Amino acid sequence: MRAAFCLSNRFPFVRLRVSGALVAAAALLVACNSMPPDPPSDLVAKGRDIFFNETFNGNGRTCGSCHREERNFTIDPAFIATLPNNDALFVAEFNPNLKQNFENPRLMREFGLILENLDGFDDLANRFTMRGVPHVLALRTSIANPQGPRTGWSGDGAPADGSLRSFAVGAVIQHFTKTLNRVSGVDFRLPTDAELDALEAFQLSLGRQNELQLPLRLRGTVAKRGQEIFLDNNLGKCNVCHGNAGANVAPGNNANFNTGVEDLPDQPARLTGEKVPRDDGFGVPGDGTFNTPTLVEAADTGPFFHNNAIETIEGAVAFYNGQAFNNSPSGQFLASTDPNGIGIRLDGTQVVEVAAFLRVINTLENIRLTVDLLNRSEALRSFKYEEAARLLRLAQAETGDSISVLAGGGLHPEAVLHLRESKRLIHRAIDSFFSQRDLTRKAIEEQEKARAFLIEGKG
Amino acid sequence: MRIVLIVFGVAIAVLGMSLHAHGQKSTERYIPIGQSPGVSQKLTSIGEIADVDQLKRTVTLLGPAGQQTVSITDSTRIWLDRTKIKQTNLTGTFADLQKGRRVEVKYQDAQTRQVADWVKVEITGP
Repeated sequence: MRAAFCLSNRFPFVRLRVSGALVAAAALLVACNSMPPDPPSDLVAKGRDIFFNETFNGNGRTCGSCHREERNFTIDPAFIATLPNNDALFVAEFNPNLKQNFENPRLMREFGLILENLDGFDDLANRFTMRGVPHVLALRTSIANPQGPRTGWSGDGAPADGSLRSFAVGAVIQHFTKTLNRVSGVDFRLPTDAELDALEAFQLSLGRQNELQLPLRLRGTVAKRGQEIFLDNNLGKCNVCHGNAGANVAPGNNANFNTGVEDLPDQPARLTGEKVPRDDGFGVPGDGTFNTPTLVEAADTGPFFHNNAIETIEGAVAFYNGQAFNNSPSGQFLASTDPNGIGIRLDGTQVVEVAAFLRVINTLENIRLTVDLLNRSEALRSFKYEEAARLLRLAQAETGDSISVLAGGGLHPEAVLHLRESKRLIHRAIDSFFSQRDLTRKAIEEQEKARAFLIEGKG
Repeated sequence: MRIVLIVFGVAIAVLGMSLHAHGQKSTERYIPIGQSPGVSQKLTSIGEIADVDQLKRTVTLLGPAGQQTVSITDSTRIWLDRTKIKQTNLTGTFADLQKGRRVEVKYQDAQTRQVADWVKVEITGP
């Protein structure tokens, strides 16, 4: 029996500057949504093992084939390019039964796109969508909705009861099958109830377990201004849908919107000439809406939007200036509430400032996670050396992300120096048995020094 | 002004809200009878078709809890579950709802149990 708990008991309400009335009004529509409690660690460990190792007697893929831990539980073209040709991700290239209508290898390799038959399997050649791989971080804070969980890009990713627990069943059928017949017991086996419990527990354990509370006391001039714009419901208007830079319009309400992404001109995948049908989003037939992704984790999990249409975080922010958004139902709605009839209109400097804010909060989350990984590694090292080393390698990858995210925006060069030093120390710690503890402690200190350049106090 | 803001807030929430909980239907087709997590036996009934009314487009199901008559509408999805003969599951029609066949029915409303959301029909032979 699952104990239910209410998200609204756990998280304070989102702060929107338009007025507390806005929050109060939105909260009227928020039900006390049930979400499993913190699971026992052995269930999480079992879920991890299944997530990364279980093929369900299918084509060789695991959940981890697309949701790579060292890549923030997603994949992108740069990472895909590093994989060997016999990686199960490329099964459509070497399994004759999956050569047609299972994946589009060109779009996978060039844009990180995966084929999905969300509107049914009756016309495989023509009815499909091409979507990026969403990360599975911070699910505990980002998929609850009064009508039921919103999984996947359009909120309707899971079969059966639509829950995160059921998501793996649909994923096995869609992505793990040996042939397009998709016969249970022949082309794959479906997860057992115990496996679904473990997978759900593992996924809910990933990333942030709590919402940020904005505004943060940021130190950087540009990021600080970006935060102001983000929170300004008469200018950036970002916080209206991405409350506290998360995924909710109000606690426990991850909502769907039609923001016009499908109307973007010159979408990269379509420029290739490959068939890329219009993605109609939620439901069958779709209503054109997609659920809101969390932004804290955004800067190091691009490309952006459900179709990987935009490569950079600056480009993703700039999208909201364009015609595709401003002509969409969501853009039109914002315009209808604006005294000047404007949906969203930011100038170039403001776009970069909002992106800088997103880069900094992403780095703060990476540092939090890295320190956690390093502490866990240190606690394990004397009796589980391999596991400790694995955690160190993850900490190294996270630190690499922090460096890329800050340096990519020309932000906080002093912090970047400390992060580089931390990464160097972690690298040494991985290979060191006798000095590992000391090196790990020093790496944590460097992370803390980097953090101090980004934010005042504990944030 | 306060009223305007309340309307704004409600509108934002409603704009982002779909009308109902949603279990994806496309892969549901490939889940064998009785194995739909969180749904089978909770929101569905499994049993044999005892009667079919072509005119009313209803099916009477005989299950462990007795007889249950359910309406089949244009939006009801019907799938042929051929897992037992190791063949791919297919989309079916009302004509596939035949007396004596084993079926699983998911209701649109689990309380009233009057209208079928989807029906899986077990096919055991060619």
